Amino acid sequence: MSARNRELLALVPVAVLVTAGFAAVFITRSNEVTDLSLTYGGYFLALCVAAHIFLRIRLPHADPYLFPLCALLAAIGLVVIYRIDDGLAFDQASVFVLGLVLFCVTIVALRDYHVLERYRYLIATAGILLLIGPFITRNETNGAYLSVDLGPISFQPAELAKICIVIFLASYLAEKREMLSVAARRVVGLTIPPLKHFGPLLVVWGAAMLMLVFIRDLGSSLMFFGAFLALLYVATRRFSYVLVGLAMFALGAYVLGTQIPHVHERFDIWLDPFAPNGPAGAGQIQQSLFAQADGGLFGQGLGESLLKLPGPFAPDCQQPFPECGSILPAPHTDFIFAVITMELGLFGACGVILIYALIAARGFKTAVMAPDGFSKLLAAGLTAIFALQAFVIIGGVTKVIPLTGVTLPFVSFGGSSVVANMILLALLLLVSDRARRPRPDRASELGELGR
Amino acid sequence: MDTEPIAVALKFGFLAVLYLFLFWVSRSALRELRRTSAPAPEATGFHATAGPGGRSAATDASLVAVHGGGLSPGDRYDLFGGLSIGRSTEADVRIEDRFASSIHARLYSRGASYFVEDMGSTNGTFLNGTALEGEAELADLDQIKIGDTEMRFELELPGDG
Repeated sequence: MSARNRELLALVPVAVLVTAGFAAVFITRSNEVTDLSLTYGGYFLALCVAAHIFLRIRLPHADPYLFPLCALLAAIGLVVIYRIDDGLAFDQASVFVLGLVLFCVTIVALRDYHVLERYRYLIATAGILLLIGPFITRNETNGAYLSVDLGPISFQPAELAKICIVIFLASYLAEKREMLSVAARRVVGLTIPPLKHFGPLLVVWGAAMLMLVFIRDLGSSLMFFGAFLALLYVATRRFSYVLVGLAMFALGAYVLGTQIPHVHERFDIWLDPFAPNGPAGAGQIQQSLFAQADGGLFGQGLGESLLKLPGPFAPDCQQPFPECGSILPAPHTDFIFAVITMELGLFGACGVILIYALIAARGFKTAVMAPDGFSKLLAAGLTAIFALQAFVIIGGVTKVIPLTGVTLPFVSFGGSSVVANMILLALLLLVSDRARRPRPDRASELGELGR
Repeated sequence: MDTEPIAVALKFGFLAVLYLFLFWVSRSALRELRRTSAPAPEATGFHATAGPGGRSAATDASLVAVHGGGLSPGDRYDLFGGLSIGRSTEADVRIEDRFASSIHARLYSRGASYFVEDMGSTNGTFLNGTALEGEAELADLDQIKIGDTEMRFELELPGDG
């Protein structure tokens, strides 16, 4: 079976799931079975098939599972958002159409993605500007600087910035990695690179710390720094760099964390969310934990759980959510994973984590197969930052790490998140197509693969 | 109409389809992994490989063992990404030579050229018989001597292989 036929086949269960999900929500809502869910499933399938046909023409050799896995995440996201609020689901669906258009534009415009290497400093500058944008415009949300208002549209620049930063790091490390990987000295079992080569590591570490100061967001800086360390490890094969980097990050985060009240408060909540007289923000994580516990093994069923209370939940509710009677804060964005756990249970939640794990596996496989250094690092970096983002928000909601407001890729409501992740997926598929294209000397091996 | 059984069926059906799908994807991924295990001894093909006569795909220059150092004559080391030579286990090319330092010298590329650099060794690195000071550019078939170990630098010209 060819790669594209596999992809088409994989889209079938996705369509089945989206239909079943909508049907379940309809049944709970109106206590009757309607064929409307079939219509919704049909629309979703039509969009996916359109994208699939586009891929069939432009990237015939790309990885067959990346797109269906992402579509599955989008499907689960749509169902859950629809369950929360119809209007939001309509907005999200429209954003997906826009995202798919940009997905196609990226694939057409960057047919040879190596041009990105040429503009790396420009891309890096754009990325940094995007990151500090919210700080410049002084747009504060819950004590962190996360979004920029452009007229009626508010967007989260960190989502796009992550792609820019990964492109820059990939092209930089592809060129400089031999300088970093040639061994120097061994001290107490650790390989210490010559001091002059520590420069870039220190610069990026400094940038991550600055991010922590300016954006006041531990999760995002962890996400960016983690992706950097992953890339550094892929480029140099020196695990000691990762250890040193992590130690430096932990130290810096600890020192800064005690200085910046917002970060400090998040940390306190994480340590003990049920502390009497604890910080006011602790209610978020408390509700999230209760909601997840409510899910049990198999969940309450889609649409069955108690998500809204009659009457206002908190009179001074600051969440920009249509109904403030919501039991969970921001159930459609940051806490969507808690809603999934509540309605689909432990098994559903683990399923979602498995989807992310499989996407990461496909991404790293792409990196392994990629023909040149930049492609390898680009695929590895994009995969790493995608997986880390999922880790940061799932970890935050389940109280594994201090909570940070990043979106759950492809699932959360949010235009910039969907658009940025679509572009990320397009780049991964571009690398994948180049990597899996049969070459004369590898024809026999790939012939076997296609069987 | 009582929709309760349908709701329950949908709830478990959703999870069942989800897991079957994930199982299918991971099974094909595993199968693919087994099939592609053959080509590169070092999976990424990214770092220098030291297999006997082994050349990885991206090579365009290599270091060939001539004699001594516990290397079999004719061994090739891919210079893609640079490599270090020395007595320690940390060196990319490990030589058993009592005159060699733990990291004795390194070879790397800058732009289109390859260079050899002495890493402050005790007994020095010799390029075509003359002691090396700092770094020097390498030409095709240059001889590199460390202690009693001799090696040769080979450029692969286009169309060579």
